[in-house]
Amino acid sequence: MIKYESQKVALHYIRLSLLLFPLQVVMGLWLAVNYGFTLPQALVDVFSFATARALHTNLLVAWLLLGFMGGTYFILPEECERELFSVKLAWLQLLLFAGAAVAAVVGFLFGWTQGKPLLEIPVPLDLVIVVAALIFIANVVLTIAKSAHRSLIQYMLAAGVTFLALLYLIGIPFFKNLNTDYYYWWWVIHLWVEGAWELITASLVAFVILKATGVERKVVEKWLYVETGLFLFTGLVGTGHHYYWIGAPDYWLWWGGVFSALEPLPIALMVADTWLHVRERKDKTVNPLLWTYIVGMAIYHFFGAGVWGFFHTLPPINYYTHGSQITVSHGHMAFFGAYALVNLTIYYYALPQFKGIKRYDERLGQWGFWNMCLSMFFLCLIFLIAGVLQTYLERFLDIGYMTAHSTMMFWFKIALGIGAWFLAGVVMTVWHLFTLRPAQEKA
Amino acid sequence: MTSGSAKTIFWVGTLSSALIFIALTVDFHRREPEFAHTDKITDQVVKGKKVWHKYNCNDCHTILGFGGYYAPDMTKAYYRLGEGNIIHVVMNPEKVYKDSFRKMPKLGVTAEEAKDLVAFLKWTAEIENRKWPPQDEKYVKAARAKEAQAREVPRTDLVLASCGGCHSFENRGRDVAGDLADLARSNTFDRETMIRFMLDPAAVSPGSGMPPQQLSREKAELIADFVIGLR
Repeated sequence: MIKYESQKVALHYIRLSLLLFPLQVVMGLWLAVNYGFTLPQALVDVFSFATARALHTNLLVAWLLLGFMGGTYFILPEECERELFSVKLAWLQLLLFAGAAVAAVVGFLFGWTQGKPLLEIPVPLDLVIVVAALIFIANVVLTIAKSAHRSLIQYMLAAGVTFLALLYLIGIPFFKNLNTDYYYWWWVIHLWVEGAWELITASLVAFVILKATGVERKVVEKWLYVETGLFLFTGLVGTGHHYYWIGAPDYWLWWGGVFSALEPLPIALMVADTWLHVRERKDKTVNPLLWTYIVGMAIYHFFGAGVWGFFHTLPPINYYTHGSQITVSHGHMAFFGAYALVNLTIYYYALPQFKGIKRYDERLGQWGFWNMCLSMFFLCLIFLIAGVLQTYLERFLDIGYMTAHSTMMFWFKIALGIGAWFLAGVVMTVWHLFTLRPAQEKA
Repeated sequence: MTSGSAKTIFWVGTLSSALIFIALTVDFHRREPEFAHTDKITDQVVKGKKVWHKYNCNDCHTILGFGGYYAPDMTKAYYRLGEGNIIHVVMNPEKVYKDSFRKMPKLGVTAEEAKDLVAFLKWTAEIENRKWPPQDEKYVKAARAKEAQAREVPRTDLVLASCGGCHSFENRGRDVAGDLADLARSNTFDRETMIRFMLDPAAVSPGSGMPPQQLSREKAELIADFVIGLR
């Protein structure tokens, strides 16, 4: 039941991203093995923790970005009431992006890396990604330009996509000064997740809510303005919560601390408006799983990014928790809640339409959702325990590194088990999304 | 709320925050020399930073608290370990960590690269970053004290600065290679052998993973007396 032929290109982005998601989780399990057990030197020499971590994090970024791109290509024709500017360009972009990703993965295995966490992709491949990003921006902007209609969602998407690409450029050059290096590293990492990515996902989710609930466009757009405005207001200066310990003036403790303490505010608004819209929906409920995802995503976003982040970024607490397993706990919960669930929400909105299914059999999808959400909650709890022990022993009581870190072996064995549970949830979800079929109508 | 006021919230919020952020960024660069000692970034420091990137150190180790949480933070590693130990560890991780619960990969770092890396870590350790990480501040203090005359330094500071990067004693130090009191009791070295052992461990105990220590005769004697005193 897709309305425009060119929307079909989105399907390939979505499928590829769904293949990368489980791979990311498998790498995560391998990282837990590294923590939980003592590995033989010969194995560590050929496949180090560093390589596995680079794969784990880059696969995350790759599948999220593929989802954003696919989601954008899916909603744009409907939002612009015309076909995409060019399907061929969208294909070229996908091939360049996927090609760069494959080359990066193979490269990592052989030690070809830029050596910056999360931005390990070497410069030549960065340039391929930049070309893909430019094609994406051109395709989005030209589709909007040729549309007879103008909407806020169009503008937000175009702004988010452009902002995302511009920030990526800052991660490419070599900085002689480590302190400057990390100052701008956060312009990529933090301003992506607190800025550009929020613009894109907020627009995509606004579109899904608009179409699925039948709530008036004016109302949805008003919320979109206020929420993205507050996201950027708190998020831009909020970057400062990463500058407490890099060697920067004292005022960052205040600017960073106060603005990041406000960061949960827009997320709380998002939870409220999602709840209101879902409650006041005018259209009949077709697939309750979509509501489960929309509400679940808002709540998880609030706890993972909002509440966890709030406590962790207060300077007196951050002095002890910075760069510990507590960061790991926050990171997992925030990325899963704010972004992984957003992508899956969009997939659950888009994929049935490709198959022309109005009401699908959603049992496996419900199992997938609850298994993922529950296991991720427990996983973050385990990381939190490991992190509190680590910081308490090593930084508070000031006893040896060995004592503080060897306690992790026990907790990461548990994390490995819970991670396997999470993987099961992911496999259920991915399998369900690939094999959606119409629900059996009750006689 | 009207659409107009929603729009105003967006623009005022975004632009005010962007302006503050840009102004603070300008000020950060203006004051960077006093925090990051930019005048001390020599060619060797830059080469060392490239070594740091080349071997992807940062995906296991944090530095300034960023990166992988698998291995110790490297911000103040220079004070914790000193030049000789850093070079020995990065060139021979399989020996140093042969009994460790976590391993470091053998990366193939050359002697020259290791020296450059030390220059980079030395510069990094001097970044004025509000004494973070908390657990390493004692090494910074002890190492700075040790740079002064050994005899004037409290004995525990001298031992902490020289040995605490790997050993522990009296609940201080990192305990990666054992507690000094336990080690003192379990070996039978006399004073002279212990001094020779510190200066060249493999010559006294073949197969020892301990790096040779660059110590003056005077400091080695002080440490040997301290360790034997723990028996």
